[in-house]
Amino acid sequence: MKNKTLLLARTLIKNGEGLGIRGSSTFTKVALILVFAILIPGLMTGISFLVANLLGILSHIGQEGVVLSWGIAIDSTIVFVFGIFYVISTFYFSSDVEMLLPLPLKPGQIMGAKFLVVTVYEYLTIAVFFLPVWITYGIYMGCGPLFYLYGLIVYLLMPVTPLAAASVIIMLVMRFTNLSRYKDTVKVLGGMIGVFIGVGVNVVMQNVMGTMSQEQIMELIQKGDNSLVVLTSGIFPTARWGAEAMIHYGEPSGLFSILLYVGFSVLIYLILLWLGQLIYLRGVMGLSETGSKRNKSNGLDLEKEVVKGSIIRTYTLVELKLLFRTPIYFINCVMINFLWPVFIILPLIFQPAEANMIHELSKILNKPGTEGMILAGSFAAALFLSATNGTASTSISREGQQLFVKKYLPVSYRQQLNAKILSGFILGFVSVLIMFLFAVFMFKLPLWLGLLILSAAWLPVLYTSLTGLLIDIYNPKLDWDSEQKAVKQNINVLYNMLAGIIPGALTVIAFSFSPGLPLTFAVLTGTYGLLCYFLGKLLYTKGVKRFIQLEA
Amino acid sequence: MIAGICRRSWNARKGRDKYVIELTNVNKTYGGTLKAVDNLSLVIPDGEIFGFLGPNGAGKTTTIKLIAGILNADSGSIRINGKDIRKDALEAKKQIGFVPDTPNIFLRLKGIEYLNFMADMYDVSTDERKERIESLSRRFGMSDVLQDRIQSYSHGMRQKIIIIGVLLHNPSVWVLDEPMTGLDPRSSFLLKEMMREHADSGNTVFFSTHVLDVAEKVCDRVAIINKGQLLFCGTMEEMKDHFKKNTSLENMFLELTESEE
Repeated sequence: MKNKTLLLARTLIKNGEGLGIRGSSTFTKVALILVFAILIPGLMTGISFLVANLLGILSHIGQEGVVLSWGIAIDSTIVFVFGIFYVISTFYFSSDVEMLLPLPLKPGQIMGAKFLVVTVYEYLTIAVFFLPVWITYGIYMGCGPLFYLYGLIVYLLMPVTPLAAASVIIMLVMRFTNLSRYKDTVKVLGGMIGVFIGVGVNVVMQNVMGTMSQEQIMELIQKGDNSLVVLTSGIFPTARWGAEAMIHYGEPSGLFSILLYVGFSVLIYLILLWLGQLIYLRGVMGLSETGSKRNKSNGLDLEKEVVKGSIIRTYTLVELKLLFRTPIYFINCVMINFLWPVFIILPLIFQPAEANMIHELSKILNKPGTEGMILAGSFAAALFLSATNGTASTSISREGQQLFVKKYLPVSYRQQLNAKILSGFILGFVSVLIMFLFAVFMFKLPLWLGLLILSAAWLPVLYTSLTGLLIDIYNPKLDWDSEQKAVKQNINVLYNMLAGIIPGALTVIAFSFSPGLPLTFAVLTGTYGLLCYFLGKLLYTKGVKRFIQLEA
Repeated sequence: MIAGICRRSWNARKGRDKYVIELTNVNKTYGGTLKAVDNLSLVIPDGEIFGFLGPNGAGKTTTIKLIAGILNADSGSIRINGKDIRKDALEAKKQIGFVPDTPNIFLRLKGIEYLNFMADMYDVSTDERKERIESLSRRFGMSDVLQDRIQSYSHGMRQKIIIIGVLLHNPSVWVLDEPMTGLDPRSSFLLKEMMREHADSGNTVFFSTHVLDVAEKVCDRVAIINKGQLLFCGTMEEMKDHFKKNTSLENMFLELTESEE
């Protein structure tokens, strides 16, 4: 059984496209490698310095182990939150599932293989954070080879427990909400539940910390000898054992901890396989079916349903309908707008301390003279929020092999691009609207300022829609077999984030000296107005030419 | 020379000179090496059902996609009712009703939403589309499922909704890529009947198939293509003359495509 599971896992990984650079142009590959060659080592170096600093402080009070335990705990949480998404898409939404079901494999084997695939993805995700913590601690504390061996074991098994937790939750959700008639709705709900669980865990984790009184924590600190490590056990028990094994690597207790860690992880994996055997198949079957009403009484009212509309309106509406109805598009392009607010509001409900913070912050924001900065900040936030939305930057990629349809329609490419810009703009603007509500109702900013923000912040949304579409039209990912590859594994989303975040950061820096509201308003709207004008020109000339050349 | 055959055979038959579809020295290469269409010239007049035959990978779909404006030819010109598919793209595309070889498009739209979309794209008035949606969906037995998502349709139903969609603007030129695939016998018969009606009222049908029976029964003229090159173009009778009499079309077809091996 093990062999088949491993074999399948290997095939699935080979079949996957990773970040999807295969088949991209040389320019894309070089750019991508540069981005990763600079960004990731940069980030890891930053973390290393931070860890070294922390170690310097913590070693005075004998609490240096906290770095490891928190490092592992944070990684486990990352695994869990990302795991929710990975599990939904790999276990259930992946197009290979239908192909695997008729093969002579046990459900546990399919699920086990998919679990391993996700584990491999998770290695990449957590390496960025765990490697600097591990190596820096080892060098700083002058640890022996056994430390690195334990560290490797901890790293390799780290995803197992949190990912198993995520898998079990998703499998239960899929098993018991499997209404095959409402396949897409179920997928979306599953995704939303996943997000809320992620947020919920975050909140609970903070509360676990919050319930300990200052005295208790001080007492733990004074105990020295890495007693703070105990705190992390509230999240995943393995995190604590892993950390303790690495801290006490030279002692028998270290060996005991690593054995406990390995044993527990293996046990969890076996329990997961057993559960998978029981419930995975039921959840998967029926996902590939779509029900229909086939109901005459529900018949068509031609008078009402068949009405002529303008090309741009109809085209945009169809784009939006597809975004709303395709689960993976909905989660990545529509729901993402509501994620940020949820992440901010939920902790507020559960933690009064943060509400106080908001109160204090709104006092600062309402001081006279800060309006210019607030406008610039909102502008930057709009850039950031709309750039993280993948609607525009995947609008050509999402067409996939069906791009040809858009080629035989007697509609000019310019008009088609307009409709794509419009659908990206509409979804991006939702986040600006939410920001407006936050500004006025949470931070109690005056309504006129909120309206002013609203009247200016559509420009950054238009800007990121234009950059997104331009990026995607030059480097579309058309050759995909499952919709998630069009949006989730699409490097254009990352490029567009950079196209939005960099000017966003520049905007914040440029206006940090508070030049006053009228000047800020004039400069920002002027600059981005011009930028949009030129980007629009570029889209209508070079972009249209490129669209003509595209052949799926 | 091949184009010569094509023109001569037609001129002999009808003696008119209005070409609806005109391909002149069209070339298309994929990836710089694979020649999918090789110096292809074809003329198709009005009032004709024209069958485009060839084995798998012969270049049928590529040619059809070039005609529909989906692919750009490397050289040569394609005209639809005198409008160049590249220079006068929108006007040329409006003349065509194109049915692709895969019916899996817009799966997440309801049937009626797809039809409305197509009608809007082709600028069909409210009254006209109402009348055509009603009559076409009744003819194809699709009236009861228009409120369902295309995703829930069978292959044949998807094929039918696409055919209905491209006929809403009443195009004079039908360009169909393997249209019979997946259709049940009744719908297949219906489509053939409609193709005949369409051609008889002075319009043009251009379709590809590898089902020789269909070609034999329906087509006024056929062309046979292999490896991007036109091997034959003419009426069925001419084709039979061209080869030995009383040989089945299948044998002719095999002979035609094999001689190129």
